[in-house]
Amino acid sequence: MDWCPACGNFGISAAIYKAYAELNLNPNKTVIVSGIGCSGKTPHFVKINGVHTLHGRSIAFATGIKVANPQLKVIVHGGDGDLLGIGAGHFVALGRRNLGVTVIMHDNGVYGLTKGQASPTLKKGLKTKSLAEPNMFNAVNPIALALAAGYTFVARGYSMLSEHLKDLIKAAITHRGSAFLDVLQPCVTYNDIHTAEYYRKRVYNLSSQPGWDPVVREQKEEEVEKKALQAWQRSLEWGDKIPIGIFYHNPNAPTLEDTLNERLPSYKEKPLPQQAISGEDGAPIVDQTAFKKLFGDFIVRVKRV
Amino acid sequence: MVEELSLLLGGAQGAGLESSANILTKAFGYLGYGTFSDREYFSNIKGRHSYIHTRVSSTTLPSSLTYPVQILCAMDAETVFTHFWDVGEGGFLVHDASLSNVKGESIPSIEPRLKERLKQTFKTLGIDSTIGSLTRYLSESKKVNVIDLNYPEILSELAKRFKLLPQQASRYLSSIIVGAVAGLVQLESEAVDYSIQSRFGAKPELVEHNKFAVGLVAELVKERYGLTYKLDPSKLKHDEFLVASGNDVVAMAKLVGGLRYQSYYPITPAADESFTIESYQKLTVDQKSIGSTVVIQTEDEIAAITSAIGAAMCGVRSATATSGPGFSLMVEGLGYAGQNEVPVVITYYQRGAPSTGQPTRGGQQDLLFSLFASHGEFPRIVLSSGDHQEAFYDAIEAFNLAERYQVPVIHLLDKFLANCISTMAIPDLSKVKLDRGKVAAELRGYKRFSLSEAISPWAYLGSDAVQWYAGDEHSEEGHIDEDPVNRVEMYDKRMKKLEIMDEEIPPQSRAILQGPDDAEYLLVGWGFVKGVALDAIEELGRKGLRGAYLNIKMFSPFPSNYVKSIISKFGEGKVIAVEHNYLAQASMAITMNTGIQLEKSIVKYTGRPIYKHELVKAIERALEGSKREVLTYGQ
Repeated sequence: MDWCPACGNFGISAAIYKAYAELNLNPNKTVIVSGIGCSGKTPHFVKINGVHTLHGRSIAFATGIKVANPQLKVIVHGGDGDLLGIGAGHFVALGRRNLGVTVIMHDNGVYGLTKGQASPTLKKGLKTKSLAEPNMFNAVNPIALALAAGYTFVARGYSMLSEHLKDLIKAAITHRGSAFLDVLQPCVTYNDIHTAEYYRKRVYNLSSQPGWDPVVREQKEEEVEKKALQAWQRSLEWGDKIPIGIFYHNPNAPTLEDTLNERLPSYKEKPLPQQAISGEDGAPIVDQTAFKKLFGDFIVRVKRV
Repeated sequence: MVEELSLLLGGAQGAGLESSANILTKAFGYLGYGTFSDREYFSNIKGRHSYIHTRVSSTTLPSSLTYPVQILCAMDAETVFTHFWDVGEGGFLVHDASLSNVKGESIPSIEPRLKERLKQTFKTLGIDSTIGSLTRYLSESKKVNVIDLNYPEILSELAKRFKLLPQQASRYLSSIIVGAVAGLVQLESEAVDYSIQSRFGAKPELVEHNKFAVGLVAELVKERYGLTYKLDPSKLKHDEFLVASGNDVVAMAKLVGGLRYQSYYPITPAADESFTIESYQKLTVDQKSIGSTVVIQTEDEIAAITSAIGAAMCGVRSATATSGPGFSLMVEGLGYAGQNEVPVVITYYQRGAPSTGQPTRGGQQDLLFSLFASHGEFPRIVLSSGDHQEAFYDAIEAFNLAERYQVPVIHLLDKFLANCISTMAIPDLSKVKLDRGKVAAELRGYKRFSLSEAISPWAYLGSDAVQWYAGDEHSEEGHIDEDPVNRVEMYDKRMKKLEIMDEEIPPQSRAILQGPDDAEYLLVGWGFVKGVALDAIEELGRKGLRGAYLNIKMFSPFPSNYVKSIISKFGEGKVIAVEHNYLAQASMAITMNTGIQLEKSIVKYTGRPIYKHELVKAIERALEGSKREVLTYGQ
């Protein structure tokens, strides 16, 4: 691991090792997909299939992997710049699709690997260590954005609360549908505002709140709305109190895999890689006879004279 | 009786022109004729001028077009003003008699530059700007047979007969066009009925209305004018034809080729391919699904290419289809596929460029871009198809090549081919083989980028081999590795594939010489130029001038020695590049790969295809010494 000493990624790594072990994930049937930045190196430090992709595109690669083989567990690790800056379009698209991919966002407020520029989650007016002037742009609210995009599992963890984070990771990975986990993470080198000390004083666990229940028990419009609204409201809290825990969890919404399975017989049981495209000799399964039957609409029969 | 026939059907976009062309094509096919139709349209859904230019042949399956046409059928006034110069002497103009007083300048959708050209023309001809005086001029000075049918009367007769509302009846404008052509060429009603039945079979009332309208107009034309343009009986021996657009042909081929994942972002002229694939995604044969293909409309072309790469890593045949603006966005992903040796196919339909360019017009301006897109160096295959038949087999072979060499393949096509509807022989699948390449047998201690050979055995994500990928320079395991020795070994391993591909892929399949290598001149082209080049050569051949055509099909790896040997056989000034771009890009690629500079070129970049009649003249001028001919027909 080549992160800075005391980097929040160590806490996240510790949590994912435990979570993956406790879930007994099969390394062959699990794929970690990452983007570019400090978090992008995560797959190289885990003995599970790893696809270290392009800046901002991890979700798009993950989409192809998951759609091609829905039997794989697909987990995205990306930074806040990667997922909400350059890759924001893909972030929204995954929520819309409710495809079973888990997105773990390493959220440190800066672009660490390029020496500390402001990221999309850094508030306007803040001047972290390496900025020449205070940040000029407003921050995006990742939790609210995920809710608006349609993620059916939305949570936030904190890298220094490893045990709690591990539980959230497990819940996110076992969720059916698109899952988003925002992980607050100090960047010891470039973010001198959101330090471990800063978070220690502020984070509180949603589950400690009396009556907090983020789960949509039934796929009914009123209940979905109620649970989304309370999540939205909590997502706005950022100051003396910063909530962590599960904001919203709807396990019953139909997934893209469900939709594809309705369209394509045996999509889930026999994923695309297992479907033969040719016989032993390489002859396509769409042979001459099948071709003519399949594409009969394009065939014109010539009148016999 | 004639051997072949060219027609042009014009009307407002959305008025049913495609329906007319489809019915006629199938009817001609039923009678054994080959047809080839280009559809030209604005980037618009309803209202702007569009037309279909068709060649029908009794002796060959045509793959090019020419002017003048013998029959021009106008659904509206704009068609008459836009195309009256396209009808030859003795040809036929079918138009709506109720529009005789319409003036050219009163049509808002005619573009200002064309209005200006029309004004000049009317001035020169000394006529006023109404359709009436224009058709009189055509009839008197150009011996064009003008057939003025009163379209509103015909439609109201249809409305009366079937108790339709006027707006319902107006949908049968397309049948008037079909009827007029049917009457003029004396198409057997059985053929038209077959065709209408096969298009509207599911809706009996549409079948009935269409048959009635077509029959009515056909009779009217025959009775009132007694003019005919009858085709020789077809000499083609086919029992059946495939009649399809280039988009559809490629879609069918990809499905035959084992496509399992197709991603796309909507773009003209590529999107229709993905639509067709989705329509057949269940591969239902005898009510049974024999496989399935997922089609995903992504949020952008970046996601289209990167998700396709992800799917390919899982071991499925994976592709995306796009056009220039989309490919521009895909470039970083292309480099990733190169660096990670992922077999992914990009079906690239070029259109008028750069930028938004001419979204619905054709061009071949992206060859050099395809060859060089992405930062860095990595092997890629760039494959081009000359016609529908080639496109079919190439679309399958693209997957074989991608998987055999573990490289990205760019299958270069263009808008002309995408939208042209061609009558072709049913593809012969008996020789088609799907080759998955070198699949790893041993998965213990598997290394995705094993340096033991240039093409490392392939195992998929989800197999029993854990594996890593990185856009970074990586180790054999796929982990980031910046060691300079590893860098060189990995770099060499990737680049070595260029040599391997060049050794293994027969050069005669990468550049195809058609015609004798001792001919008096050689045309060199690629893609859609093939059809028109061969037809122009044939026509000049009848005048005693022997020519040959070199169809370059693979630009990377380029068959350098083979192309060099062919070009060298032709003397200086006898080799002419023919392309739909400004720079003669293929000619530049030839120079880059062989050191030979082609002195002469014939280019066209109006967005419309090169037509035979203009190419024939341009070849003659080139052989007389002209170094550069710029074609413009279709104004």
